[in-house]
Amino acid sequence: MSALLDVKNLSISFFTPRGEIQAVRDVSLSLQPGEVLAVVGESGCGKSVMCKGIMRLLCSSAKIKSGSIFVNGVDITSYKERDMHKLRGKLFSMIFQDPMTSLNPTMTIGAQIAEAVKAHQPKISGKELDNRVIELMKLVGIERPAERRRLYPYHFSGGMRQRSVMAIALAGNPQILFADEPTTSLDVTIQSQILNLLRELQKNLKTATVFVTHDLGVAAQAADRIAVMYAGKIVEIGTTEEVFHDPRHPYTWGLMQALPAFSKGRDRLHTIPGMPPDLISPPKGDAFACRNEYALKIDYEEAPPMFSVTDTHYAATWLLDKRAPKITPPVMKLSEGSCCKKDLIAPEKDLTLSSHVPIPENRKVILDVRNLCHTFSLGQKRSLKAVDDVSFQIREGEIFGLVGESGSGKSTLARCIMNIYPHQEGSILYKGINTCDQKAFRKNKKMLQRERQLIFQDSASSLNGRMKVGDIIAEPMKIQHIAPPRGTYRKEAEFQMHYVGLDHSYLDQYPPQLSGGQRQRVAIARALSMEPKLLVADEPVASLDVSIQAQIINLFRHLQAEHGFSFLFISHDLAMVEFLCDRVGVMYQGKLVETAPVKELFAHPGHPYTKALLSAIPTLNPEEERSVQH
Amino acid sequence: MNTSFEIAGIKQVPKEEPELKKKWYYGKPVFAIFFLFFIVISCLACDLIMPKDPTYMDLSNFNQSPNSEFLFGTDTMGRDIFSMIWSGGRISLWIGIFSAIISTFLGILFGAVSGSAPQWADTLLMRLTEILLSVPGLLMVLLIQAVLGKANVLSISFVIGITSWMSIAKVVRIEVRQLRNSEYVIASKCMGGSFFHILWNHLTPNFISSIMFMVVMNIRSAIIAESTLSFMGIGLPIETISWGSMLSLSEKALLTNSWWIILIPGGFLLATLLCITSLGNYLRRNVNQKNSNL
Amino acid sequence: MTRQNPAIYFGKKLFMFLFSVLLLSIIVFYISRLAPGDPLVSYYGDRVEKMSPQERIWAEDKLGLNQPVSIQYICWLRNALHGNFGISYKYKADVTEVIRGRIDNTLLLGGIGFLFIFLLALFLGTVCAWNEDKLLDRLICKAGTITSCIPEFWLSLVLILIFAVNLKWLPSSGAYTVGKPNDMGDRILHLILPLIIVVTSHLWYYAYMIRNKLLEEVRADYVLLAKSKGLKKGSIMYRHCLRNILPSYFSLMAISVPHILGGTYIVETVFSYPGIGTLSYESARYKDYNLLMLLCILSGILVILCNMIAQIINEKIDPRVKAGRREQG
Repeated sequence: MSALLDVKNLSISFFTPRGEIQAVRDVSLSLQPGEVLAVVGESGCGKSVMCKGIMRLLCSSAKIKSGSIFVNGVDITSYKERDMHKLRGKLFSMIFQDPMTSLNPTMTIGAQIAEAVKAHQPKISGKELDNRVIELMKLVGIERPAERRRLYPYHFSGGMRQRSVMAIALAGNPQILFADEPTTSLDVTIQSQILNLLRELQKNLKTATVFVTHDLGVAAQAADRIAVMYAGKIVEIGTTEEVFHDPRHPYTWGLMQALPAFSKGRDRLHTIPGMPPDLISPPKGDAFACRNEYALKIDYEEAPPMFSVTDTHYAATWLLDKRAPKITPPVMKLSEGSCCKKDLIAPEKDLTLSSHVPIPENRKVILDVRNLCHTFSLGQKRSLKAVDDVSFQIREGEIFGLVGESGSGKSTLARCIMNIYPHQEGSILYKGINTCDQKAFRKNKKMLQRERQLIFQDSASSLNGRMKVGDIIAEPMKIQHIAPPRGTYRKEAEFQMHYVGLDHSYLDQYPPQLSGGQRQRVAIARALSMEPKLLVADEPVASLDVSIQAQIINLFRHLQAEHGFSFLFISHDLAMVEFLCDRVGVMYQGKLVETAPVKELFAHPGHPYTKALLSAIPTLNPEEERSVQH
Repeated sequence: MNTSFEIAGIKQVPKEEPELKKKWYYGKPVFAIFFLFFIVISCLACDLIMPKDPTYMDLSNFNQSPNSEFLFGTDTMGRDIFSMIWSGGRISLWIGIFSAIISTFLGILFGAVSGSAPQWADTLLMRLTEILLSVPGLLMVLLIQAVLGKANVLSISFVIGITSWMSIAKVVRIEVRQLRNSEYVIASKCMGGSFFHILWNHLTPNFISSIMFMVVMNIRSAIIAESTLSFMGIGLPIETISWGSMLSLSEKALLTNSWWIILIPGGFLLATLLCITSLGNYLRRNVNQKNSNL
Repeated sequence: MTRQNPAIYFGKKLFMFLFSVLLLSIIVFYISRLAPGDPLVSYYGDRVEKMSPQERIWAEDKLGLNQPVSIQYICWLRNALHGNFGISYKYKADVTEVIRGRIDNTLLLGGIGFLFIFLLALFLGTVCAWNEDKLLDRLICKAGTITSCIPEFWLSLVLILIFAVNLKWLPSSGAYTVGKPNDMGDRILHLILPLIIVVTSHLWYYAYMIRNKLLEEVRADYVLLAKSKGLKKGSIMYRHCLRNILPSYFSLMAISVPHILGGTYIVETVFSYPGIGTLSYESARYKDYNLLMLLCILSGILVILCNMIAQIINEKIDPRVKAGRREQG
């Protein structure tokens, strides 16, 4: 069988003013007709660059340094732009991450699909074109296509837009489809719809697919083979079963363990320490060595070659060398079902291992939200009820999770609690003080501002980019005129940084110089410097990578155990909530539809929306997924 | 047998910082800055440089082409152009800076008020700004100056200043709006930061970079406006020497084909404007390094 | 989104328009009367200085200048509504006549200039964006920056010095050679230099705008999708990017109309080109009230009209604006 796509020793670099970024380094892989290959890895490891590089969609500062790309046996590496555009759409096509920006906002959906059809059939008649557009829209599950093709993208929701993008990608009947994180920016329930659609299309059309994702669960569901990428290299490649049942590369182990489902019942998530390397000067030897507890000496000296495990399974780690000591990989047997869906729903057996000790009822209620409503006015006569009659309580030392999809009013609720929005209806009692009452609020302003702290989702915008990290952390103390207990504000900032696991060398740096995870740590340090009694975190890990997410969640857990503050944790990720929280509230369209202790909620979801959320969690068991499919 | 296959575990690898080969002046308008510096210093120190009294009308030597006595020649009234350049430059630059100060002050005031005002007031103020912006600036200056009558250095800076604040106001307004909704300002408010704390620590640093470009460009357009006004004969009178008023003699110069009266002051004017522009462009050069998708 | 009745929509716009014009006329009227200066100078010239007080009173009475300003305004408004805008003090003729004699020249110069600017800016901007950061782009940008720095009047002087005084190829002043007002070729010859000045002084501002907007557009994600469906670079540029910026360019150009027409003023002065620009300057300088009023109102109408056109373009053509309004309400 000849390979449809054969990539040999491909290296792609970006030439920037800062230096050469080696985004893809010596990657080889092949794709058979009709096959689904998932490319997995943290962000910035070159997955997306590789796909775009193959399609030659990269900007002019990116150069293919070496290697070759064969499609159907033809070397297209040296093709010029005028040859490439003939191949795009027809031979290969791509679905992008963010459907909100990947459609032209000023053209109707129909016109954009028609354009894709016409690009390869310039002589198609008007009637045929219309039919083909409607056919494509039906194919991707857009109902009433005849009307809807006249609509502009802004009429469509994210899921519908992604469907339209898929219709465009399929318009030229491509042989290879690159799907670049097609579900990442969508809501959980929509994610599974799109994923199902992709699988169905793939089955019907037999299009070979390269599926880029950072989510191992998604990869397990969708792929025949999996390639794990790290720092621009493929470190492990094999069939889905092989990679899941017999992973060989320590990075793959780390990735799998970092999933919350693996840490069920433990009191901390497994994390991969550190961060992916800077690809401007990739480290000598194995790039993963400095994060790898099993790293060998040689890993710091020489990059490992690809070792073959079976005919289809390869991994690039010195551990597979004959001379290397035998390592038993950390326990992660999937077949025993330690992390499949059944288990998620089945009642927890080993309570002893879990730290979910229920908060005693007699603890004082620290936050009491009663019948809170918040409405945004949308101009004339229209309004949006973002928070609709929400009531819940948080006890001292309790971690309360709030889940729901985007637009369900979670953030608005958090901002209402922090008195950012003017009060409308209902009441919020903090330690018995009605913070909605202007008088009571003003009277206790100092105390409230000190004891309640907020952490935002996007650390890039919640930290002033023109202030040094040290000043940011000390800012609340300066505002509140608190004499620093450790002498100077600088010392205090240094202490807080160590506390959240940051090196003090970052003290004089500016937030844009830090990575997302580091910035979020700064934000946490800033909030903690006030020794809060109530911490509200609005999607604090949503914009971070899985391994970094786990680091931050562990940090939260650790800090909470140490300080004993009450914690309102807002997230769209049920797995994280399950791991971290004592009680969970589910928000849906502004209403709090369900509140329950975390185990109960996962065992017996009451509301249909909660059920939908639970069933949308991708599992990690390839066999089970396959059996569902066939 | 081979120690390199021992488990070493996690080790910190010292990071090699790639050496940046770029020189410190890379991308900076070095030439423009030097030239501007030269002009400004020379104009400030004009008393030391000028070989002749720039206001002295040497009627025996009018309309002389450049020669060893009059380096840049003399104008139609017999004044030494070389001396006039420096003393005139002082006035032109002074007007440019002074009116830029006025317009920046007005612009920031107006923009900040509009940006922090409630929706309806904001709409009203911005509509006003837009209408004023769509009236040709120079025409407005001309009309106001014509109504005011005889001009002096102060009045002309004032007129130019009050007619060129609109674009700054717009930028400031957008900036204020964005900052007002930015999360770090909200965070600071949550922590109890006072208005002045936020203004000083958060708003000002973000403000200054976006305003600097506009300020520099305002200096430029003020210098242009002054020279145009003076050339038209409604700006500074001929006796007050500025680059503009020197050029107001050029209609007579055209008749006698005395190129130096037109080209030399104009050349200095143009060079200064170019330097200011490249300085402004350097200040504006945004951090956004996103690459083209095409 | 609720669809608005077009009649109501345009009715509102019309009302706003009339209201603005009225407001403008009041403001101009008051400012011009309150500003220092003697309107009689423009009517009687130097004779004013020799006038006896009685003569002055008689003259002011004749011109209706001795009444309170508000009464004067109502008188003016009443006459204006009947189409009578009064006489020009300086030219001693009906102001509409005075303006009519000059407006053609300005419209010709401004109109052709506008057309050139509009098309050339689009062309240059696109060429620059297409060749981003390549040699051609850098050259055009450098040249553009330089031209935008040159003061109009000085460029006019230099061009006259070169082409009229030294090379003697082109005439240096006037709209036509005396005695040959109907010779088309002659008129075009007279138009060349002023036109060059009008175009170069505005061109780069708009071309640069187009370039930057296009570069922003080219960085949008949809370009990648368009590329991956197999479109050629050229058709992405023209069918997607350029199309997307056109509405904002049109509205920008609508606002630019008064700027370009107003900008002809300096050119008119340097080239002694008989147009509206010189007229407005004289009327403001010499307190020729009636002429000033009509000119201000005409330009005001132009400004407001262009603003409205720009606004309508923004609201009606660009679906993104609609989308934005939908999202905010």
